[in-house]
Amino acid sequence: MPPKPHRVIIERVSGYADEASAFLRRRRLTRRPFARVYAPGGRSLACAPETEEGRELFLAASRVIDAAG
Amino acid sequence: MPDLSANGRPSVADAEVAVARLESMSTDLRGCAVLAADGSVLAATGDPERWGEPARELLAAADAAAGEPVSHAHVATEDGEAFAVRAGGIALIAAAARFTLASLLLSDIRAVLRDLLRAPGAAPAARDAAAAVEA
Repeated sequence: MPPKPHRVIIERVSGYADEASAFLRRRRLTRRPFARVYAPGGRSLACAPETEEGRELFLAASRVIDAAG
Repeated sequence: MPDLSANGRPSVADAEVAVARLESMSTDLRGCAVLAADGSVLAATGDPERWGEPARELLAAADAAAGEPVSHAHVATEDGEAFAVRAGGIALIAAAARFTLASLLLSDIRAVLRDLLRAPGAAPAARDAAAAVEA
């Protein structure tokens, strides 16, 4: 006997929701602090926290976050 | 529509509208500030005095890292995320919750900046800058 149509829809929706929550969970676990700057020409640069530029960026960002409260 | 003052920068009232609009658009936003080209705070969430120095420092640090004035910067820390977007001489600095969807927030920031730079009586340079702000 085939499942009722509404059950198929509910199962599909909950399947997508499970996948989305798993994606967000993985993202939280794997994402590390980073700093990236983008020049007008499209050039971008990642600044590691160990570098002088990176340290300055992280310090300034922390102050901005503090200012926001 | 925004009213650019005689020196070509947005008025404080327009900047306040932009800040309020961004606050209503972005649920992850913790706060933001609009800076004029001279680094003065035109409008901000909360106390504008608190924003001036940190916002200028973030822009300066981003410029120093890139070796030229940046169009935007994104720094993700353990406590939250900071964004700086510059267009037409003005800059919008924002702080958001950690793990915010950066592309969505950047899109909202650009939309707000674009509207702030557009005005019937705006200088051609400001209009060009508004058109150049990526969607």
